[in-house]
Amino acid sequence: MNYIVVVIFLLLAAITLVSGVMVVTVKNIIHSALWLIASFIGVAALYLLMEAEFLAVVQILVYAGAVSILVLFAIMLTRHVTGEGTRMLYERWWVALLVALVLFGAVIVPTIWNQGANWDAAATAAQSSITAFGEDAAPGTAVASTINIGESFMREYLLPFEIASLLLLMALIGAIVIAFEEPTSRRRVLTLAEEHALKQRGIVEPRDAEGAVMPTIEAEQAL
Amino acid sequence: MVETFQQTFGAPLWLAVVLASGLKVTLILVGGSLGMMFLTWYERRAIAYMQDRRGPNRVGPQGLLQPIAEAIKTMTKEDTTPLEADRIVHFLAPVVMLAATVLTFAIIPWGNLFPSDLSVGVLFFVAVGGLHTLGMLMAGWGSNNKFALLGGMRGVAQMVSYEIPQVMAVIPIVLMTGTMSMQRIVEAQSGFGGLAWNVFTPVGLFAFVLFFIASLAEGERTPFDIPEADSEIVAGYMTEYTGMKFAVFYLANYMTNLAICFITTSIFLGGGNGPGVNELGGFLGGFLSLIYFFIKALFLFFIMVLIRATVPRLRVDQLMGFAWKFLLPLVLVNILSSALWVSITRWDQQAQIFTTWFGAPGTADAPNFIRLGVAVAVTVAINLGALVMVMGLNNRASQEHMRATDEELALGL
Amino acid sequence: MVGSVPIAWVLTLAAALFCIGLFGALSRRNTVGILMGIELMLNSVNINLVAFWRYLQPTGTVGLVFAIFTITVAAAEVAVGLAMVIAVYRARLTINADEVDTLRG
Repeated sequence: MNYIVVVIFLLLAAITLVSGVMVVTVKNIIHSALWLIASFIGVAALYLLMEAEFLAVVQILVYAGAVSILVLFAIMLTRHVTGEGTRMLYERWWVALLVALVLFGAVIVPTIWNQGANWDAAATAAQSSITAFGEDAAPGTAVASTINIGESFMREYLLPFEIASLLLLMALIGAIVIAFEEPTSRRRVLTLAEEHALKQRGIVEPRDAEGAVMPTIEAEQAL
Repeated sequence: MVETFQQTFGAPLWLAVVLASGLKVTLILVGGSLGMMFLTWYERRAIAYMQDRRGPNRVGPQGLLQPIAEAIKTMTKEDTTPLEADRIVHFLAPVVMLAATVLTFAIIPWGNLFPSDLSVGVLFFVAVGGLHTLGMLMAGWGSNNKFALLGGMRGVAQMVSYEIPQVMAVIPIVLMTGTMSMQRIVEAQSGFGGLAWNVFTPVGLFAFVLFFIASLAEGERTPFDIPEADSEIVAGYMTEYTGMKFAVFYLANYMTNLAICFITTSIFLGGGNGPGVNELGGFLGGFLSLIYFFIKALFLFFIMVLIRATVPRLRVDQLMGFAWKFLLPLVLVNILSSALWVSITRWDQQAQIFTTWFGAPGTADAPNFIRLGVAVAVTVAINLGALVMVMGLNNRASQEHMRATDEELALGL
Repeated sequence: MVGSVPIAWVLTLAAALFCIGLFGALSRRNTVGILMGIELMLNSVNINLVAFWRYLQPTGTVGLVFAIFTITVAAAEVAVGLAMVIAVYRARLTINADEVDTLRG
């Protein structure tokens, strides 16, 4: 019974849960996204505590480094200019709270009552299968490390791996197509060099895609 | 180090771990800050000599106390926060950037000493480097300033784009060495009298160049320094920061570049390995490996300074085009060629045909030169071919683009 | 950790995080807020998977592989979801989920 591990686990669990609560209750949505990043990092620390190193690093790389940036960009690109007068939660938010609490009770209470002792016994029995440490151990004798994950990706789980890569390709193309914005014809002022080049070709009044006259520096100076 | 604490003080395990970790963290923080100060002085003197002038040489002998004078200056400046800015976000942004930077120092092998040996060391470096982007976005948003926000978003776009070639340029080394742990990668480069560096293999050379270019962009060095370009966008996301907060951004920037130099040295240039380290062994060998390590890292930093002094800045769209259209295909082809290298030099049962053509795979003492030669030829051919093709495609695309714009203007479209 | 922390504690943490995410996804009006609640739920599922892997079958890789696939699918879903949020914002200038109701009838 290593008390330090218990203390660290309780600390990390508190960080993760408090960050989660702040995500759903803070009014300013940028702060909500930042608390979400804190909860992601708390979850990564929990993975590290449970000796899943590769998953912890992947969690930071994907979630805290990429998904959160995506969320922040989406928030910044969709700011309403008129201010934050709107309400954050629906009127009947207490129904959602009730549903969440009932679900929590329904999931946890029966499982801990019935299965807690069984799982503890099975856990202590399963730990005896760990007979080696380190990266060089033969597969099946040490806690699964990155090498074992890589091997199982290439052996038993090759098909889901390929399907996941196709899924990511679809998501990439889909996201670009959905959020695509047609490049608008910019009514910009022609530079002196471009004006000169066009004059050499014999075009005096250049027009853009919609047929309107493009402004030039010389024309503006003549005014 | 934990064992030393335990033995000398007879302390329980948890206390020894805490003390050892505290000592390592202190050494990293102090070493990193001193390194950053030295780097600022070195950069300013080197750029000055390249620009035919002297650089700071008044404060202390040869200007070595200049960084201390700058530190005093930043500490005594007034610390302002913009009026309508988000105070907490504005305050936390430099903290997040510095935290991300200092975390990357945890896996750097100093010569042959290791603060901590994660089995996923290389991936950890990239993952924590991704937290940089978060600090940039917070700084740009929390300043309530359009230029800062624009600079922050541009900076994040640049860093996210260049993270991909940076990660994938290390994958060939991971493939060839078989592990992601920094300690083993450094140990695997200690053959041939300490000169079996990864940069001397064709795959490693290509990967080194690609990783170095991508890391230049990650560390916001010219020609990729749009986020902090003084002449373009005021100071980008650091516009509204004064005094000590600006100093923390500056510190994070130089410490990131220092970490990049160290990591590149460890992965590609053999970090601590060199002629004479293995023979000396013990304390002298460790000291010699540390000296070799610093020499190589400072040589890389000198190249960074040289590039800064000579190459003009890239525009934002040129920068992104360079990452996605030039570096990314080359990096993918490099991974393919490294897989071919591993299979040609090491496979015996998986592909019997290699053994029938080239003979059995050699060991470390008796390498099979036929296999090695074939692997070198194949990888050099693939990489150079890809380079020529990508350069040709990019040239044609840019010429096409210029011609199309000309035609558009000419036809009055 | 296996000797000191019973698995029931980790499962309780995961269930609590799931219910917090569920509350966020059901009650927030801002669409990006709903997506953040969904991300919390997916993270709690991953904690559950990794806990069961570590406590009951640490030498196998099923739990970790499942968790990696969950992260992959969640990242893909967030990308497409946020692209849709941006597209809806461009069309209707709103990101509140209850103001996008032209199909109501």
